[in-house]
Amino acid sequence: MTEEGTEIEVDVVVVGGGSAGSTAAIRAQKELPLGRVLLLEKAHVKRSGAIAIGMDGLNNAVIPGHTTPEQYVKEITMANDGIVDQRAVLAYAERSFDMIQQLDGWGVKFQKTGTGDFDVKKVHHNGSYVLPMPEGYDLKKILTRMIRRSGVRVSNRVMATRLLTGADGRIAGVLGVNVRDGSFQVIRAKAVILCCGASGRLGLPASGYLFGTYENPSNAGDGYSLAYHAGAALTGIECFQINPLIKDYNGPACAYVTGPLGGHTVNAQGHRFIESDYWSGQMMLEFYRELHSVNGPVYLKLTHLAPETITEIERVLHRTERPSRGRFHAGRGHGYAADLVEMHISEIGLCSGHSASGVAVNERGETTVPGLYAAGDMACVPHNYLLGAMTYGEICAESALGYLQAGPGAPAGGGEEAYELPEQIDAERTRLRRPMERGAGVPPHQYEYKVRRLVNDYLQPPKTANRMNHGLALFERAQDELDEVSATTPHELMRFVEAGFIRDCAEMAARASLYRTESRWGLYHHRLDYPEMDDTSWFVHVDLYKDAAGRMAARKRPVAPYVVPLGDEERRSYYRIRVPGTAPAGSGAVSPPSSPPSSPPSEVSP
Amino acid sequence: MSQIPDRESVKAAEARTVGHAQTTERFDVPVIVDEKRCISGCHICIDSCPVDCLSVSPATGKAHMKFDECWYCLACEIDCPKDAITVKIPFLVR
Repeated sequence: MTEEGTEIEVDVVVVGGGSAGSTAAIRAQKELPLGRVLLLEKAHVKRSGAIAIGMDGLNNAVIPGHTTPEQYVKEITMANDGIVDQRAVLAYAERSFDMIQQLDGWGVKFQKTGTGDFDVKKVHHNGSYVLPMPEGYDLKKILTRMIRRSGVRVSNRVMATRLLTGADGRIAGVLGVNVRDGSFQVIRAKAVILCCGASGRLGLPASGYLFGTYENPSNAGDGYSLAYHAGAALTGIECFQINPLIKDYNGPACAYVTGPLGGHTVNAQGHRFIESDYWSGQMMLEFYRELHSVNGPVYLKLTHLAPETITEIERVLHRTERPSRGRFHAGRGHGYAADLVEMHISEIGLCSGHSASGVAVNERGETTVPGLYAAGDMACVPHNYLLGAMTYGEICAESALGYLQAGPGAPAGGGEEAYELPEQIDAERTRLRRPMERGAGVPPHQYEYKVRRLVNDYLQPPKTANRMNHGLALFERAQDELDEVSATTPHELMRFVEAGFIRDCAEMAARASLYRTESRWGLYHHRLDYPEMDDTSWFVHVDLYKDAAGRMAARKRPVAPYVVPLGDEERRSYYRIRVPGTAPAGSGAVSPPSSPPSSPPSEVSP
Repeated sequence: MSQIPDRESVKAAEARTVGHAQTTERFDVPVIVDEKRCISGCHICIDSCPVDCLSVSPATGKAHMKFDECWYCLACEIDCPKDAITVKIPFLVR
């Protein structure tokens, strides 16, 4: 690492230039002078984040005439077994259509009917929220163009490694490293918006290829770790992300594209066993049961479709999101028209875009740290997906602007010098210099392989306390093992820092899962030692935080009163995913609570 | 076999404190660059890669895959103005 670095001061730093970060930076720049909003991107904004190669549709479009914000809030409450801050879900839903119209105006092409209406499809269990974007391959290009037009200052190939916090707990900036030249970066700011994506490099893909992940492998859980070390609470971490994917390829099949055109999931006998292909924990549990029964494996079936429908599906799947699907199938000698596509269950990750594991945020995108905001896959607004990321990017920017306008002011007992923080800066500079000076040592990829293999061994559901305690001990040991890792280039230094993020996320996943002694969210938190859902004790959020001694701790937090009440029957609807009469023998299932509360209990026992 | 009865415990202690040694390994990598078509001085694919696994080869001045870290996302292949790149599915995956 070079000794010299840069030190700058801005108003707002957005960390991560993907879906959420793009809209956050553009929105913040509208109100601030040029140069006062900085967008940090570990890769390059033109091809970064989950939608680097575009997206084939919006999974949660709330469009008048097709659904209402209230219906959407109900759907997500059901899909997430009641553990949602409905106000945060509603804040998204109420702005969803505005964001779609803004994207439409930016040139994003949505599928429309002959009369020019948005062509919304039903994929979820109850309502219709899927808006196809068959030409969505240029979505990131459009976002990049809008970033350029807005005048946002962009630093590509700069990675945030730690956040700066003042003695009063307020956010004070970002520390980082340029991953090309290794220069140390000090960025002082009053507001920071984290948009770092999922923890997508947590479990190890079954192929053994470290970067063969479902998520963009740049999304290594950076935001989870940055927020945690800055003192922010994380929540729902035990509600893992586990997806049904094309086996080995480890990408989506994709149910939201193929479903509306007649494709569906079948077992080895060619029979359907789930009624809805929408990705929920309950669906994944049925998928898991089928996969591990005599009826496994599980397949995506398109062979019954007309040739022109297959062509249409290929036109989307082989151009957008993960276009190399085409060469994967060709390499195996398979095609959608003649063959079933073998599916499997992904390794675990953390992601609120698909499930509910993330940094705790409210309906304003605020974390528990003043001046720190989070949006997108890393921020816990359950099942928030791409459109939720872009919407919450804007929400966070507006909150940050309001915070700046209110004037965070000088910290108690000191002036601006209280935010100089030389000790934090020196400590981080030393932490980043050490692996570069170590000489011989463990390469970051070997360290990462081992931690992620242990994640598979001990955390992949179904979960038990015995297994997870073993895993936790090994993740604690891995903290010490980081001292053996060396980096020979700035690129390896990036991987070293990511390895630390991955280890932090592994510890979070173990601790949160151990704390919640019940089963919930189907496969996502399926505990063999506590197989029942227990609303009496566990109708609560589980928050992780760094305690006064600097240790990772867990606590319960009540679910806020619902703004959209649910009936008992509605609460249970996601447990009617399986096609009646198809349950494989001898497979343990989680049953829904016999009398689920239709609203959160008013008192929560600690 | 050993004359020292507790040789294993002696070596076990040594193994915990001894330093590190390295070796080199060969990897079959998935990003293939046609050097005849690749333009010297062009950085488009290197900028595009979300995991920064591409680099200019000091030997040839052309792009090459430096780190075996590929998401097979095709950003480099799609963005190359000379169609010089072919991305294969990594061997472990294909």
